[in-house]
Amino acid sequence: MDTYLLSNTFVDLADTLVADFDVIDFLHMLTDRSVALLSASAAGVTLADPRGELRLAASSNEAAGLLELFQLQNDQGPCLDCFRTGQPVTAADLTGPAQQWPRFAMAATEAGFRRVEALPMRLRDQVIGALNLFRVDPAPFDPAELRIGQALADVATIGLLHERNVRRTETVAEQLQRALNSRVVIEQAKGKLAERLGMDMDQAFGLLRDYARNSNQRLTDVAANFVNSATADFPPPPRPRPAQSRN
Amino acid sequence: MADRRSEAVWGKLAAHAATRGGRVSVVDVCAVAGERAQVTGAWVAASTNGQPDFVMCVTDLVCEQLAELQLTLGEGPGIDVLASAAPVLASDLGDAESVRRWPAFAPEARELGAEAVFAFPLMAGAIRAGVMGLYRGSAGSLPDGLLGDLLILADIATLMLLDAADSDADRGAGTSLEGQTPDLALHRAQIDQATGMLTVQLAVSAAEAFARLRAYAYSQDRRLADVAGDIVARRLRLHPDLRQDGDP
Repeated sequence: MDTYLLSNTFVDLADTLVADFDVIDFLHMLTDRSVALLSASAAGVTLADPRGELRLAASSNEAAGLLELFQLQNDQGPCLDCFRTGQPVTAADLTGPAQQWPRFAMAATEAGFRRVEALPMRLRDQVIGALNLFRVDPAPFDPAELRIGQALADVATIGLLHERNVRRTETVAEQLQRALNSRVVIEQAKGKLAERLGMDMDQAFGLLRDYARNSNQRLTDVAANFVNSATADFPPPPRPRPAQSRN
Repeated sequence: MADRRSEAVWGKLAAHAATRGGRVSVVDVCAVAGERAQVTGAWVAASTNGQPDFVMCVTDLVCEQLAELQLTLGEGPGIDVLASAAPVLASDLGDAESVRRWPAFAPEARELGAEAVFAFPLMAGAIRAGVMGLYRGSAGSLPDGLLGDLLILADIATLMLLDAADSDADRGAGTSLEGQTPDLALHRAQIDQATGMLTVQLAVSAAEAFARLRAYAYSQDRRLADVAGDIVARRLRLHPDLRQDGDP
């Protein structure tokens, strides 16, 4: 394992947590670093929507096949089991016979993955989501890597629940809904930008994120301004941030 | 599993509408939300200029007063909820947090008889349609496990407000979904991406783009997620003139 990258990752994550950060941008960085650190091929953070659905908040790449895998896990898969039990769940040897989750195994194999780990995001006795690690190589993850993975899942939980200086009485459910809506805003902005510039969704996300970082704005604010802008010009004309009644 | 839960909620709305003898509307959303949450009253207000200033339905007079009071004072859970993009659950308007947050609204709301107010944003990403509010005459949290149903009711109310606004815009016959069973499988990234793409293809707002996407799926008797997938894959384009919808 790259210990230099590891220490840098936790420094970067901690730096983000003390700033006025965007939760989706933060979770996206976390999935990118999970891939880099844990010899994973892809990673994604899913959150438990009280509507009764697991929804993707961020993933290391936006390939359609990967998004499908997250959607599919509303019916079966390691992520759903991890969410239900609060324990790490492994899907090993996805090409073998007698699969525990046959539909998931088939879709994962089609997307090129042979092994999946789902690590719980826990807040005391409540499971709010999972960090999912996908691997093209069927070999098990190193136990030390999985410990780091769980630490990253815990940091994801902290980041999610500490977005903006959360009011004392604000519930976990309120924060989850805000994060999930942020993801929707960003998807809408990706679609508008992809159509405007004739690019794919992954490129559109990169452009939105780079612009937000370079202009020192929150990704969700950039996305919302762009979606609500009367023109399709990007970047959208600057607009004052809406007056917030929060303190 | 979410779809089954949505269908169960829709079933309750349809049953309520049937006993009333009408088509499912925000009136049923208010009534069912109020019953399910075991609160005293419920209201739905549409947002016109960024504020939930058009009250569509109330279950009692106090609801109307609470909605108006928040607009007058410019503060309250129903005002915060759209900026916050999340439910605002004020389970005790008499506690220090509520008084600090809404110094004018909290005491006046209590005088009207509300000890707890729960506000849900009616929104889909960057689209802001309005607010669903609940109040109770006694303090206390919402019943356990009910938040999911209330969020689904808020999703349904959002669709109703967006459809109503789209019909009002008088952009041609055949786009209204009023009274139809909605496709409630809303939470797919491709639906949001397609909505964004349609803002450019049709040169309309996100709210109108989303309404057009749903109307097209309904008119073709196809699932929303499938139509969205075709748009994202650039197998399908919609045109400002409905008659030209089809191949890219």
